[in-house]
Amino acid sequence: MAIRELKVCLLGDTGVGKSSIVCRFVQDHFDHNISPTIGASFLTKTVPCGNELHKFLIWDTAGQERFHSLAPMYYRGSAAAVIVYDITKLDSFQTLKKWVKELKEHGPEDIVVAIAGNKNDLGDIREVPMKEAKEFAESIAAIFIETSARNAVNVEELFQKISKQIPPLQNAEVESNDSFKLTRPPNPTTRRCC
Amino acid sequence: MATEDLPSDFDIVILGTGLAESVVAAACSRVGQRVLHLDRRSYYAANWASFTFNGLLTWIQEQNEEPKPEEVRDWSGLTEEGEELIHLSQADSASITNLQVFSYASEEEEEEEAANTTEEEKAADEEVVKESSETESADSKEEEEEKEGAGEEEEQANQAEGEEPEADQPHPSSPGQSEPSREKISYAQLVKEGRRFNIDLVSKLMFSRGSLVDLLIKSNVSRYAEFKNVTRILTYRHGNIEQVPCSRADVFASRQLSVVEKRKLMRFLTSCVEETEEQTAYHGRPYLEFLRDQQLGDNLQHFLLHSIAMVAEDTPTEEGLASTRHFLRSLGRYGNTPFLFPVYGLGEIPQCFCRMSAVFGGIYCLRHSVHCLIVDRDANRCKAVIDSRGQRISCSHVVMETSYLDRSKVATPPRFLSRAVLITDSSVLPSESNQQISMVTVPPEGGSPAVKMVELSSSSMTCIPGTYLVHLTCRSVGSAHQDLSPLVTRMFRTTESQEEDRRPSVLWSLYFNMADGMASQVEGQPLPSNVHICHGPDSALGHEDAVQQAASIFQRILPEEEFCPPAPNPEDIVYDGDNSSTGEDRGDMGQDDGQNPEQNQNQENPDPEQNQNQENRNQNQENPDPEQNQNQENRNQNQENPDQEQNQNQGNPELQRVGPEESPSSS
Repeated sequence: MAIRELKVCLLGDTGVGKSSIVCRFVQDHFDHNISPTIGASFLTKTVPCGNELHKFLIWDTAGQERFHSLAPMYYRGSAAAVIVYDITKLDSFQTLKKWVKELKEHGPEDIVVAIAGNKNDLGDIREVPMKEAKEFAESIAAIFIETSARNAVNVEELFQKISKQIPPLQNAEVESNDSFKLTRPPNPTTRRCC
Repeated sequence: MATEDLPSDFDIVILGTGLAESVVAAACSRVGQRVLHLDRRSYYAANWASFTFNGLLTWIQEQNEEPKPEEVRDWSGLTEEGEELIHLSQADSASITNLQVFSYASEEEEEEEAANTTEEEKAADEEVVKESSETESADSKEEEEEKEGAGEEEEQANQAEGEEPEADQPHPSSPGQSEPSREKISYAQLVKEGRRFNIDLVSKLMFSRGSLVDLLIKSNVSRYAEFKNVTRILTYRHGNIEQVPCSRADVFASRQLSVVEKRKLMRFLTSCVEETEEQTAYHGRPYLEFLRDQQLGDNLQHFLLHSIAMVAEDTPTEEGLASTRHFLRSLGRYGNTPFLFPVYGLGEIPQCFCRMSAVFGGIYCLRHSVHCLIVDRDANRCKAVIDSRGQRISCSHVVMETSYLDRSKVATPPRFLSRAVLITDSSVLPSESNQQISMVTVPPEGGSPAVKMVELSSSSMTCIPGTYLVHLTCRSVGSAHQDLSPLVTRMFRTTESQEEDRRPSVLWSLYFNMADGMASQVEGQPLPSNVHICHGPDSALGHEDAVQQAASIFQRILPEEEFCPPAPNPEDIVYDGDNSSTGEDRGDMGQDDGQNPEQNQNQENPDPEQNQNQENRNQNQENPDPEQNQNQENRNQNQENPDQEQNQNQGNPELQRVGPEESPSSS
């Protein structure tokens, strides 16, 4: 099966649980006292989808969102974006629109957008009605799901939904994409001159 | 997204997000220093930035605004006994001058566009910043002189300045723009699709064995960006564009060269790799003289001097040979030319280093500056800074870009670069592929300086399909327009002319001068010993200067530490599930310590008490062979090169061998 790398970028206010969602998805692990990300450029997880394997490269904001200083390069080449809000904090839902706008401005045009209402285990202190969030997501043709990174609810499902929305690879795309990452160069295939 | 206060204690405060500053930020964070990285601008990369078309128009407007009078505030309440203040400049008004814009694209709205957008129209109206020059008096005089002589182009430009230029041209262009050009693209379309442009302020290329590429690979910052090969090297000669043969296959396929020339060229290139006695004899004498004496003939001499060594006729032989070797070493590493270009433009590179810094705990804040440094009078060391919100932030080192120094204390940069940016509708040398990325060298001619020109196609993600982005750079003699517009009018169409004129049409152009970083002098300024200055972009084609600056500043700050050791691979970060740190507010992916002690090479920290990142330091584990996996994964990609014929890549073993062989990974 062909492995396809898909960059996914996470957006949303500080403290809504972006990292917890990824941590649950990638490591199936939840930590109440989550520490700042140090040293993780992105985390990866591979899931099957149809005849392909989707290798998600999940980028976190590395805190650059904290003072509104996310760099445009963060969005480059993303196949999908997950915008996370906290269902117990109305503020974090209200800023969704800002993130959507930011994404429209800097993100790739054909990006798949998913909106995740996190902390749905804390339903009794909910501030954001599910209906309202769902309607907003529909209005921008985004995937919508409520998650709980803590209880491992709907995290897998979130990424499955994203996987399904990724358009199948066009052959033409493969051919035209001749850009590459820099690595130690391939061993020179030196051939003796005739 | 409420703005909170910055923490008030850092190891290193860095002002400006240009390349050198960003590399310093990444290097310091990487080894556990607490870095605060600020830029008063609203965008990353300072004068190294890339802009969307609309972003560039905004930048142009900003440059033309009068600098606001610097507010003088009394910060004495924040200082203590024995401290004094050094005020910093709050705006950079010296590094960009002589800005001029010309639009040649039709301003007529296409019907369908007119129907569905009002926003774009508004934007287009706002952006009628046409031709706006700086207020420097000497320059405006020169400009007038020039207007008399420049003729056609100026007229055209003036026309474009009016509100309805070229209205006689209805352009029934269809939105399917991937067809190769000659289909007119309107100004409205440039604005509408503006976000797909990434227009660099500086124009450089990366030598594939240059220090920037080495640093990107070594640090693993390279994984944040993708690159393209520059696919061909061209030169402008006798009014024609010719391809410069630089790989063995090119040499043999060349139609301009005779069989004898081909042999001579191959022999010369092979021979100049190693220093010979014959070469030593020419030390101190011009490279041109050395080339002449090799009996190479005019053609080869031109290629070797202007396109391969890219030096002046009077450059000494040893320098010419060093440049030639640099070129040859980089040949064949990734592609057929020695050069790489980052997809989405050069402005990506500083951002990549900033991200690396952020990933290792660096704190980022744009639109934020520092008003003054607080200096301990006795120690002559900077102890703290006062930021633009009046907060005192202590630090042990400050790194800043030249433009943050108070202008009255810095000599005006004695030298400038002249830059032109053109959006054109076709390539200067059309070929089978319309996705070439070309380096064009233009030798000096009759008093006008040598010009380096880079033509980018839409595959570099810097312009829209159907257009090309052309960057011209030279050392300035006069204003950018004076230096470069004569060449532009020779090589491109700037007016409506006969159909048989096959030159590319310019749709839009921008001229400006940028201070040559190499020439900026801050020496006379007595600065505290822990304040380090980075100068802006230099005139060289490569990035050696910025990398070297960053390395030497890092060396001064942290002489014991390794410069940019590889960041761990995502797959290798191991969770052990008992973490007890408190950084919840960062909102990032949490993870726990790496575990293998012998891999934790970064545990040394000169000042552990102060280090909040301490608990995370041993996550900076070394992967014993970080490149290995990636290398595997990307090997195929590196070999893909659809723009070039397969046999070219394989058919030039001799030149590939010219450089030192790459040791096969680290196995």
